Amino acid sequence: MFKKFLKTPIGFKLSALWLFAVVFVAVSYDLFPYVQWDQISDFSQGDGPFKVPGHILGTSYDGMDMFTATMHGARMSAFVAVVSVVIGGGIGAGLGITAAYYRGTYDKVMSSIFNMILAIPNLVMSLALISVLANGNSNTPASDFRRVLVLTISLTIVIIPILGRIARSSTLQWSSREFVLASKSIGTKNLEIIRRHIIPNVAPAILAIGFFAVGVVMIAEGSLSILGIGVPGGASWGSLLAIGRANLEYSPHEVYIPVACIGLTVISTNYFGDYIRANLDKRESKI
Amino acid sequence: MSNVLEVTGLSITFATPRGNLRAVNDATITLEQGESIGVVGESGSGKTVLSRAIMGLLPGTATRTGSIKYMGKEISELPEKELRELWGTGMAMIFQDPMTTLNPVRRIGAQLTESLTVRLKLDKKEAHKQAIELLRRVRIADPEGMMRKFPYQLSGGMRQRIMIAIAVSCKPELLFADEPTTALDVTVQAQVLELLTELRKEFNMAMILVTHDLGVVAGHTDKIAVMYAGDVVEMAPTRELFKNMKMPYTEALLKSIPRLETPTGTRLPVIEGRLPDPTKNEPGCPFANRCPYVADKCRAEKPPLKDTGTGHLYRCWFPIGGEK
Repeated sequence: MFKKFLKTPIGFKLSALWLFAVVFVAVSYDLFPYVQWDQISDFSQGDGPFKVPGHILGTSYDGMDMFTATMHGARMSAFVAVVSVVIGGGIGAGLGITAAYYRGTYDKVMSSIFNMILAIPNLVMSLALISVLANGNSNTPASDFRRVLVLTISLTIVIIPILGRIARSSTLQWSSREFVLASKSIGTKNLEIIRRHIIPNVAPAILAIGFFAVGVVMIAEGSLSILGIGVPGGASWGSLLAIGRANLEYSPHEVYIPVACIGLTVISTNYFGDYIRANLDKRESKI
Repeated sequence: MSNVLEVTGLSITFATPRGNLRAVNDATITLEQGESIGVVGESGSGKTVLSRAIMGLLPGTATRTGSIKYMGKEISELPEKELRELWGTGMAMIFQDPMTTLNPVRRIGAQLTESLTVRLKLDKKEAHKQAIELLRRVRIADPEGMMRKFPYQLSGGMRQRIMIAIAVSCKPELLFADEPTTALDVTVQAQVLELLTELRKEFNMAMILVTHDLGVVAGHTDKIAVMYAGDVVEMAPTRELFKNMKMPYTEALLKSIPRLETPTGTRLPVIEGRLPDPTKNEPGCPFANRCPYVADKCRAEKPPLKDTGTGHLYRCWFPIGGEK
């Protein structure tokens, strides 16, 4: 497997390494012997990277260590993005595949629902959901957990129709193929046909779009944070960016670092997904 | 001997934007256990629709009338759920193009054991053993290696053997072969037909062999039904049909097969004209416009299916060789 990896193009290697690093940090953040990310430094405020010992990436204008904050941001951003894509993608793909396979009224209803959700701009929808479900009032603000939960749910709803439509169109193309009829003619049940014949064929397309969606969700989460309704208090890359924006004049690295992380992750997920799809599709192209 | 299949008065109509398309008119076919019938006709004559309709695999836009009895049990009104019980173990089908009937992303082994595990409820090990046995039965040289291959690694003939193995894996009573050799080259065609006949005799299956090639059915079926524009126009035991054909259409079909005896440079006779529009219901014999022996009566009135009393049926006012 390692030998195979060495033969891949450099872009794939870099994006795979970056994604691996993000996931690794996100999973193992608690094991690092650093200060807590939201602990304020006494002697360093707003210093740039590599200037103060103990703060590799410098500190924020308020004295937050940028390195640990970025690591924690990776955890929060990756969590929100991956959870909403996995759940939303799972639901979307399930609905899309069955809609395209069974057709009829069920398909029409599903397609209409997908189109209706897609018609609402996703930022507007997330904004509305969070304002209604996770705002509380000024005396008793909603807990951070509740805000993250509602944010994840709203992003999940955004993902469902995107992957649902991809799964549907891909399934339409495969379910009219003769091998599905052939499998049917030996008495295989519909769900079994979907599991054995449809899913292996539509999986590459869904995977590629799924990776792409991780990037989309990350950007959406960042945008929501800048609007002030994302993950609160600098816990994710998006909200680090939102806090740093105010101090751009004095400590610009506060903005550059999370922006670079978001950018690299989005590029990597796109490249990674594309490469995976192209390689899983090989068998078909050989025919 | 009992009848495996009794089809009476089967008509199939498709609702299309241009009106109702009659694909099959009033077809009647009976098949005894182990018997084989060849359904012959040109493209668009309704032969594929007929076989799929009997099995119940037609899309929702089709309406069927008439009766289909399998093993004496009426199945034309059964819901798909109950029909599924028959598929595979009772009736199975081999499709025309082996290039598209295997799933490109799954290994041969997985596809071959599918029917065994799903229908016969065998466990994985037993299914694997049976699959190897089946592969050996359809004369695949290295069955163990074949189980691990993907369809793109196989030739058309190999794939069709795999499809045959899948179709007979649950030992059906009735096998539909829908132009099983059309997509294959001539040398492989003969081998595949040989194999089908052999398996049919071994498992005592009844078979419906659909083809446009009279040469294909000649040596491999007990009787032949010739279809034209949705009608069964002639039906007879194979030997009787070739010796004593009544329909001008059957004769024309036979004449359009190239022969080795004819001198080089001879033009191959073709059947002039085209099939009539199946959405229109015109009076008269549908073959009238292309028939070399056409008379006024042919254009005015559609001939009924006549029975000579010897199992030879035909649909013509002026049969070759006269009546009887």
